[in-house]
Amino acid sequence: MIRKILAVLWLVAVVAAGLHVARVASHGMPLESDLLALLPAEDRDPLVQQAKSHMAEQVSGRVVILAGHADPAQARRAAEALRDSLMADGLLADAGDVPDAEALRRLGAAYYPHRASLLSPADREALLAGTAEPLAQRTLSQVFGVGGMANAKLLANDPFLLLPSFLTTLPVPASRLAMVDGWPSVSEDGTTWVLLSGRLRGHAYGLADQQAFGAGYDKAARAAAEAAPGLRLLRLGAVFYAQAGAASAMAETSFIGTASTIGTVVLILVVFRSLSPLILSLLAGGIGLLCAFSATLAVFGTLHTSTAVFGATMVGVTVDYSLHYFSRVFAGHADRADRLRHIGTGVGLGLLTTVIGYGVLAVAPLPGLRQVAVFSALGLIASCLTVVLWFPSLDRAADRPLPRALGWLGAGFWSLWDNPAGRNARRLGLALTVVLAGLGLVMLRVDDDVRRQQALDPALAAEQAQIQRILGFSQGGQFYLIAARDTEAALQQEERLGERLAALRADGAVGEWRSPARFVPSAERQADNARLVQAQLTGAPVAELAAAVGLGMTVPAPEPEPLRLAQVSATGGVPLLPGLVLAEGVHLVALDHAVDVARLRQAASGLEGVTFVDPVADMGRLLGTYRERAIGLLAVSLLLMLPPLMWRYGVRGGLWTMVPPVAALALTPLLLALIGLPFTFFAAMALVLVASAGVDYAVFCAESGADRDPVTIVATLLATVTTILSFGLLAFSEVSGIRSFGAVMLVGIALSALFAPLAGRVRPRRA
Amino acid sequence: MAALLLPGVALAEPVTLKAGEVLRGRFVQERFLAGFDQAVRSEGSFVLAPGQGLIWRGEKPFAVVTVITPAGMAQSMGGKETMRLSAAKVPFLARLHDVMSGAMAGDFHALDGEFTVNRERDRITLVPRRADMAQPVKAIVARIDRYVEEVDVQKPEGDRDHLTFSAQNVTPGPLTADEAAAFAATR
Repeated sequence: MIRKILAVLWLVAVVAAGLHVARVASHGMPLESDLLALLPAEDRDPLVQQAKSHMAEQVSGRVVILAGHADPAQARRAAEALRDSLMADGLLADAGDVPDAEALRRLGAAYYPHRASLLSPADREALLAGTAEPLAQRTLSQVFGVGGMANAKLLANDPFLLLPSFLTTLPVPASRLAMVDGWPSVSEDGTTWVLLSGRLRGHAYGLADQQAFGAGYDKAARAAAEAAPGLRLLRLGAVFYAQAGAASAMAETSFIGTASTIGTVVLILVVFRSLSPLILSLLAGGIGLLCAFSATLAVFGTLHTSTAVFGATMVGVTVDYSLHYFSRVFAGHADRADRLRHIGTGVGLGLLTTVIGYGVLAVAPLPGLRQVAVFSALGLIASCLTVVLWFPSLDRAADRPLPRALGWLGAGFWSLWDNPAGRNARRLGLALTVVLAGLGLVMLRVDDDVRRQQALDPALAAEQAQIQRILGFSQGGQFYLIAARDTEAALQQEERLGERLAALRADGAVGEWRSPARFVPSAERQADNARLVQAQLTGAPVAELAAAVGLGMTVPAPEPEPLRLAQVSATGGVPLLPGLVLAEGVHLVALDHAVDVARLRQAASGLEGVTFVDPVADMGRLLGTYRERAIGLLAVSLLLMLPPLMWRYGVRGGLWTMVPPVAALALTPLLLALIGLPFTFFAAMALVLVASAGVDYAVFCAESGADRDPVTIVATLLATVTTILSFGLLAFSEVSGIRSFGAVMLVGIALSALFAPLAGRVRPRRA
Repeated sequence: MAALLLPGVALAEPVTLKAGEVLRGRFVQERFLAGFDQAVRSEGSFVLAPGQGLIWRGEKPFAVVTVITPAGMAQSMGGKETMRLSAAKVPFLARLHDVMSGAMAGDFHALDGEFTVNRERDRITLVPRRADMAQPVKAIVARIDRYVEEVDVQKPEGDRDHLTFSAQNVTPGPLTADEAAAFAATR
């Protein structure tokens, strides 16, 4: 009676979950595809975290397209058509990184009155060294040389050309582009490349935005190619990578999901030769998935594509309990309820240990992985509830004798571990395993490089390399974060850092750096520049120069108020400048061609409030930390599984039940190391799943060890095959992180099943 | 047609440089700065190698050497570098090279994109199609005989450069080692 009520309540819950998922899906599934979003967004310093996401946003929103054609006019027309089409579709916004003439005029107007306080690094160095000669010679060569651009007005008011010198040494992004007809262009080997750069209107990692952009881009690119045969287009931008990545993840998901489902269906049909087990197993699996989706969406609001990949493969695991249930058709029980009763303890213990495993994962400080933990735990609980509450009422399968082949298989597995005749073979196998494990231990290496865990489309990577070569820039992710009490203090710190970076640049350790202070020196530096100008250039130096040229000249006087960062920012003449200012006193210093990262990191030391930030390396370190923590959590969850096992099998029996899964866990990374697979964070995550499945297998064997029931082995092997069909197929994924996960699942699950009959040596203390 | 309508005016066909050829000659530059009657005068020799660049070797009153290539511009005085600009930083420089070498090599088609080119008997007038800050030239007027004989560069602020060329001759090349090195140094 109670079961009837619970079964109805469960039906209500399942319908509610179905309605929930349907309602969310009707608005479009909120899918996320940034693999990094699954990883912990951890940084002890929230400012560093904020700076990282600020930089990441600037980078991920950028779209760069180069249109190349032998005819420059065709290339420009193609770029224009692409831009107009993408903007008309609302997909692309002007990045504003090419300042227009008006903004440049405003910039010049902001700088001009302060020319006595603005010195290029070389001019400042000369004046500090006490010589005005190089400056005077520059003016003479501009006046008497051919192609000089200094006009009479400038020469009279800035005789030493301090402002032009300052302006031409500003660290605007290194680029080989020249403006032709209003388009940044560069010619190379007979092809003219025209740059189209913009800002994505949507979110680079939002699936809907990606697809909209991808479709819009394809349409525009096709039209441009038809209008100009021979047109070549190169793309750079996170959205292109994300779109390609999501597309391949989706293709993999559907392939793996389909293969896993078909494999499972065929397996069940072949083994049970009846439709009822198939339909009910799929029902249990489907309900598991449905509830997992619903719970994940309810808890997190979005669904990550990796979770979806994971989810598709969960089918193979959620059917485990159904397989154990239906294997009882071979055992000749009189009553349907007996089928459940016989496996009840095993299912209960298995579920308990599984929930402990995922529970530890869900409460652990691994924010991104909670999604996977919640998804898996809920999926398994839901399918288990379906088996326990519904199956005895729905089950129409008749008892059948165990097919002879399966009987042999089951009995054979048992005898593998307790046939007295095989003792020597087992010892030999143990010795061989120890040797292989030892070899694996020697070869074991860890890999936490996040760049290798994500699949980057090779065609896009080639286009990116070509764009970077043509444009002549290379920007890594590294930067400095300057945190000071106000703008002036921040600018002063940047100037101190700048002195160190200038020395590093001379050594080739870095190409260029862009700090706000290089565009607007600190008030202190401006005052010092003005002092140098007055001391070194007024009087005789300017009089001599004026005499040589034959023009009246005056050294400019400094303004009473220094030039402010906000004034220059507001002109719009330096589009990159606002991006370098996070908040009052919080600045970023971007780097080009960061070659010697160790020395760049070192350059920040001893400068208060200056931090070197290397997001890729930090993410790698973070992956390493979490890889270690995942192993720690695994150990904790194994320990937490012990009490229920000891309650059931006694202290020694409980420990012994853990031997097969622990042996499988220890051997898997070592054996994979033998074939050269590194141990990654994702491999550690897979071990958590191997543990929960492995303990399940051991528990079922422990439950039926007394009568060496071959049906239990058959059920366990069925569960193994379905799990391998799902997770094991991930070993063939394009994404190396997922591949690493899949390989561990494949080997770990197989070893768990192989060792599981060992647990049959224990006897339950309680019935 | 022009010859029929204007008898007695025989227009020499301008020389167009072929690839690899080098044009050498002498120049006098007079720079008229706005508001000053007296021109700033300098003179020296020049070398033009199409595709590679231009070298202006000032002799009087100062030894100012200016090298202009597609990659940028470098200036030195008495052997000491006074200025170096890459075309990437100052896009106009790349055009400056195109304009100057295009004009002097007789290749006016190359300038069609940026300038409206107007030819009237022996005078060619170039006016930038778009006037903006990156284009510090208002107009260029050249007088052409067999070679470009005179160039007048008018600047927006009222300044004017007047260049007169003489003793021009074309050799099939090659560049001297010094000249090649000067071009290479701007890269």
